[in-house]
Amino acid sequence: MASTDADYAVWLRGIEKQFPGVIACAGADLWVRPGTIHALLGENGAGKTTMVSVLSGVYRPDGGEVWVNGQRRFFQSPADAIAAGVGMVYQEFRLVPTLTVAENIVLGAAPGLLRSAEIEERVAELSAAYGMAADPTRPVWQLSMGERQRVEILKALWRNASVLVMDEPTAVLTPGEAAELGLTLKAMAEDGRSIIYISHKLDQVVAFCDEATVLRQGKTVATVDDLDDVDLSSLAEMMVGSSGGGYVQRPPALEAGPEVLALQGISALNDRGLPALADINMTIHSGEIVGIVGVSGNGQKELAEVVTGLRQPSQGRVTFKEQDVTEASPADRYRLGLAYVPEDRIGVGLAPKMSVVDNAVVRSYRSQRRGLMLVMAKCVQFCQDLVERFGVRAGRLHDPVAGLSGGNLQRLLLGRELAEQPAVLVAAQPTRGLDVQGVAAIQSHLADQRADGVGILLISEDLDELLALSDRLLVMFEGRVVAEYGPDVTPRTVIGEAMAGQVRA
Amino acid sequence: MIRPVLARRERVVPATQAAGFVLGVVVALILGAILLWVSDHSPAEVYERMFDSAFKGTDSLSRTLERATPLALTGLSVAVAGSMGLWNIGAEGQMMAGAIVATGVAMMADGLSGPLLIALMMVSGVVGGMALMIGPALARSHLRVSEIITTLMLVYVAIRVVEWLETGPWKDPESFGFAVIEPVPEQAALPGLFGRANIGMLIALGLLLVFWLAVSRTAWGYELRLAGSSPDTARYAGVSLRRKVLTALLLSGGIAGLAGAVQLTGSAARLESGLSNGYGFAGIIVAALALMRPSGVAVVAFVFGAVQVGGQSIQTLGVSSAIADILQAMILFGALVAVVFFNYRIQWSGPGGGSSIAESGEPDLAGEVA
Repeated sequence: MASTDADYAVWLRGIEKQFPGVIACAGADLWVRPGTIHALLGENGAGKTTMVSVLSGVYRPDGGEVWVNGQRRFFQSPADAIAAGVGMVYQEFRLVPTLTVAENIVLGAAPGLLRSAEIEERVAELSAAYGMAADPTRPVWQLSMGERQRVEILKALWRNASVLVMDEPTAVLTPGEAAELGLTLKAMAEDGRSIIYISHKLDQVVAFCDEATVLRQGKTVATVDDLDDVDLSSLAEMMVGSSGGGYVQRPPALEAGPEVLALQGISALNDRGLPALADINMTIHSGEIVGIVGVSGNGQKELAEVVTGLRQPSQGRVTFKEQDVTEASPADRYRLGLAYVPEDRIGVGLAPKMSVVDNAVVRSYRSQRRGLMLVMAKCVQFCQDLVERFGVRAGRLHDPVAGLSGGNLQRLLLGRELAEQPAVLVAAQPTRGLDVQGVAAIQSHLADQRADGVGILLISEDLDELLALSDRLLVMFEGRVVAEYGPDVTPRTVIGEAMAGQVRA
Repeated sequence: MIRPVLARRERVVPATQAAGFVLGVVVALILGAILLWVSDHSPAEVYERMFDSAFKGTDSLSRTLERATPLALTGLSVAVAGSMGLWNIGAEGQMMAGAIVATGVAMMADGLSGPLLIALMMVSGVVGGMALMIGPALARSHLRVSEIITTLMLVYVAIRVVEWLETGPWKDPESFGFAVIEPVPEQAALPGLFGRANIGMLIALGLLLVFWLAVSRTAWGYELRLAGSSPDTARYAGVSLRRKVLTALLLSGGIAGLAGAVQLTGSAARLESGLSNGYGFAGIIVAALALMRPSGVAVVAFVFGAVQVGGQSIQTLGVSSAIADILQAMILFGALVAVVFFNYRIQWSGPGGGSSIAESGEPDLAGEVA
């Protein structure tokens, strides 16, 4: 590289950050040159948000260095980062709806006693300079999402941000607004500012950005100096690419068992009320692992939720063991034999503040009752059995579960779901963020369950894991299953293209 | 660049909790001593009087317990809602609603024998408190309307209803023109235990015990704890959040209503607009200090009761009521700060390292302090 370190607008070096049970960053690097739009790519949980949170002073790193404009920084708070010229535009806007655009922009950074007319004039100048139409006198509650985002950007510019971080900026925008945003960002880059752009929408990344860094499992796995040199599918492949993540031998092929789960014409909306799944048809037989691969945000999460009953489909039918369960509750489905290891193991799968015992009986507490009372001895016994059977190192069973390591949390969760011999297991990102032993343990449990005749829907962002474990691999793109591959090894490039929506005939 | 940050404790040790509590109160007493000294009072004398009036002899103790009884009930009321992450700010109003219905029933059934009438009035109190809570509870569970606002607003409605009853339909014809409601029938007075303490105290203790058991030992309580601590996990486990929110709020209202009935039959002679006397609002502090646990509510209510009795008694030493109020507030504030240190410790943070409160992302008491 021609430039020296001091020339970088942002240099995050060897960032390490650990949360209880999860390693978010394990020595990740990020270099951003001045005057560029830099895409920060990676799957959910790859460490993108943690990296920018370190840069914007929200988190302090456990290890590593933060350099901004050639100076090493030790941010203690977002205010420190703002003072150093780092601005952040969050996905959820942080605006006061009843205040005007100008008032929101200067809030907390008003230059002494200025008359509001003067402020409004200066805000108008600033917005005109970057081609952002924004009436400074309008209250924010009257604005569209796109306009609110402009206010957030203007807020950062008002504070003289030389680095602007944007987290999924187009998620809330209409296509027209997204295109306008692209122009604004380009104008800002031409002005010498740097933009860090986090997005899953690869087509927009290629259209807007100059360079890219790809994170996977808390590490930087690829940097792209010129995005014109790469195509969509190789970017997709880099994001999910090789992790060395398959630790088990592919179990021998089995006779396909009877069909246990079927989705027919399933469509569903996401939390924002936008279409997330469109006409999904799939079946799972007993004793097979069906892998789901795709760039995150293409409907995988919603698929798991529709199958397990946490999300109602807008159309279609879910059949489980020849029974229509489309309307059945998550608990009813579990009783029928449909187990679920959710993507959010803490907060959905497990209640972090409750004890190990309490968490162990989330599925079975109804059968540990005598009259109204919950028989604690039975609960403890049940938990003890789980802990032993699945090798959970749990410490004291009455302590909060949040004290366990990530691998042990997942063993406990998986063990609980498997305790009552389910017919189908839906496992979403079951090995994400785990250490090597944890990954190996979880993968071998999955393989064992398959051998015992459990049908498994495995949703993962680790292509190696999917290739190692799956009997069939389905590729999701924009809420549809766009390709299906058999157990033979399919070239990664072909899968990468399918993930980017380019299916080879 | 080194400065203190609050860091979440990995483990909360009960012994540290107790020590922190005592330390917080001691610091407050020292600061209070300075205040007293500056305002020309002898701190030793004042503190001795406070202590004696609250604890020395059965009579003093009974006054403390008399105060602690409604505090324990309203504290439990707020704590039941709080265990689901909900804030019942309107226990004050629900107390009134409970007392109104209990009074109405007593007027209609004053021929009944004591125990029967008392039992009937207690049930009416619960019904009254729940009735005032139905609106906020449904609005919260079905429309996500903040229960904080609705419960608070209804406090003033309930108090105005009492004022209307006093001057209008329930005005005592034998009151020589004073706007008061006739006293509750004699046989409805709660039997005394000793001094000023009555069996209302046992009702409160019993209810705390029942709730402690229900929350920690029943499937219902398990679901409540699950829904309160991790709503998505509860949904996943098949617990109806809507129903849990509804029951927690209705129970909360019912308990506050019971507090009204206990106050009516125990310490007050009649229903009047001053009957709730701030106990409902004080219950919020009790529940917060007790970390929303029934066991904690009993202890905190007792201490709170003692502080109130003590604060009143020192006025006989010439301490102005303003200073007495400040003193009470400081003691509670000291305890409240101590509660923060139950869950957080100070960490001197230099460059890099350490996780701050901002990262835990939990809306805790300490969240507001930081």
